[in-house]
Amino acid sequence: METVLPLFSNGFIDSNLNYILAVGIGILFGFILERGGFGTSAHIAPVFYFKSTIVPKIMVSAIITTATLILLGTLFGYIDFSQIFIPTTYLWPYLVGGVIFGLGMVMSGWCPGTAVVGIATLKIDAIFFALGLLVGMFFYFDIYQYIIDFANSGNLGKFTIDKLVGGDIRISYLVTVAVSFGLLLFVMAMKNIKDKQGEN
Amino acid sequence: MKENNYWSPVIAGIILGIALFISFMVAGQGMGASGAFARATAQATFTVDPSFAQNAYAGKYLKHGNALMNWTVLEVAGIFIGGLISALLARRIKPEITRAKGYSSGKRLFFAFLGGVIVAAATRLTRGCTSGQALDGAATFSVGAWIFMLAVFGSGFLFSFLFKKQWKGVE
Repeated sequence: METVLPLFSNGFIDSNLNYILAVGIGILFGFILERGGFGTSAHIAPVFYFKSTIVPKIMVSAIITTATLILLGTLFGYIDFSQIFIPTTYLWPYLVGGVIFGLGMVMSGWCPGTAVVGIATLKIDAIFFALGLLVGMFFYFDIYQYIIDFANSGNLGKFTIDKLVGGDIRISYLVTVAVSFGLLLFVMAMKNIKDKQGEN
Repeated sequence: MKENNYWSPVIAGIILGIALFISFMVAGQGMGASGAFARATAQATFTVDPSFAQNAYAGKYLKHGNALMNWTVLEVAGIFIGGLISALLARRIKPEITRAKGYSSGKRLFFAFLGGVIVAAATRLTRGCTSGQALDGAATFSVGAWIFMLAVFGSGFLFSFLFKKQWKGVE
C-alpha cells in the first residue's frame, strides 16, 4: 500500500499551503488549550503541589490518543513513520534543561504554549512571562558559544523506545501507554494523600 | 449563562490528541511554542544589529531570510487566535494577575518574568518545551520526551516549597 501521510513530507501539499494550514492547526490548539483550562496559571502551578490533576490528565489522554492513531496508521501502512519529526535526544542537556525548566515553571506558573493563550485572555502574569522568554532567549544566544559542547552532549539520535528496550513500534506504544498511566496514577494517588492531610 | 464551561480534562486531552494527530499527518510535526519565541528574539535582534546573523546559535534561524517565515511561528499565531476565540465565546477575557490572596502583585510579576527568562534558556537546551518536546515527543515514542518530562516534574516538585506563598489557595 502506498503511504500518503504526512501530506507535506510526501509532497501532497506545497510549502505555501502548509504555512496556511499551520495557522489553522494553531487555532485548533489554542481553542482546545483554552477550553482545557490552560489559559490561567491557576490551573498549571497547583500540579507541583499535587493539588490539581488537570495538567497530567490532559497530557496523558492527548499522548495516548495521538500515539494510538499513529500506531494504527503505521501498522495499516497509511503513515510513513520515518517522515514524522522526532526531536533528537540529548541525554545530559535534557536532564539539566528539564530541571531548569521545572524551576522556571513552578516560579512563573506558565510554559511557552500556555502563555500564548494566557496573553490572549489578558493575564498580566502571562505577558510578563513572555517578556522574560524573549530576554531569556537573547541571553542563551549570547552564552551559547561557551556551552556549545555541553548543549550537544549525550547525543542519542532519534531515540525511540524500541531502540532502548528492543522490539518495534508496538512495543514503543505499549511502554508509552504503561508509563503514561503509571505517571497519572502516581499523581492522582499523591493528590488523594494531600487531600486527606488537608490544607496547611 | 454558565460561568465555567471548561471541558473535562480527559475530553480536552482526547480532542487535543486528535488535533495533534492531524498536525502530524498534515505537516509532519506537532505542536510547538518555544521555537516561535526564539525566532522572534532572533529576528528582532537582527533588525537592530545585522551582524547578529553571525551568532553561533541564532544564525541558523536567520540564514534563510526572515526568521518568522516558519511553520511553528505561524502555528503559534494560530494558538493566540484560537485561545482568543475560545475565551471570547466563554466570556473569560479580563485583565488579571493570578496569585494567592494578599500576595504582592509586584513580586508575582517579577517571578513570572524571571521564570520566563529561566524557561527560555532551558528550552534551547531541551530543543523544545512542554509542547514541542514533551507532548510531541511522547506521542511519537521518543525516550528524550520522558527524560525531559520527569526532570521537569521532579524539579518543579523539588522547588515548589520556594513559591508556596505565591500559590497558596490558588486552584
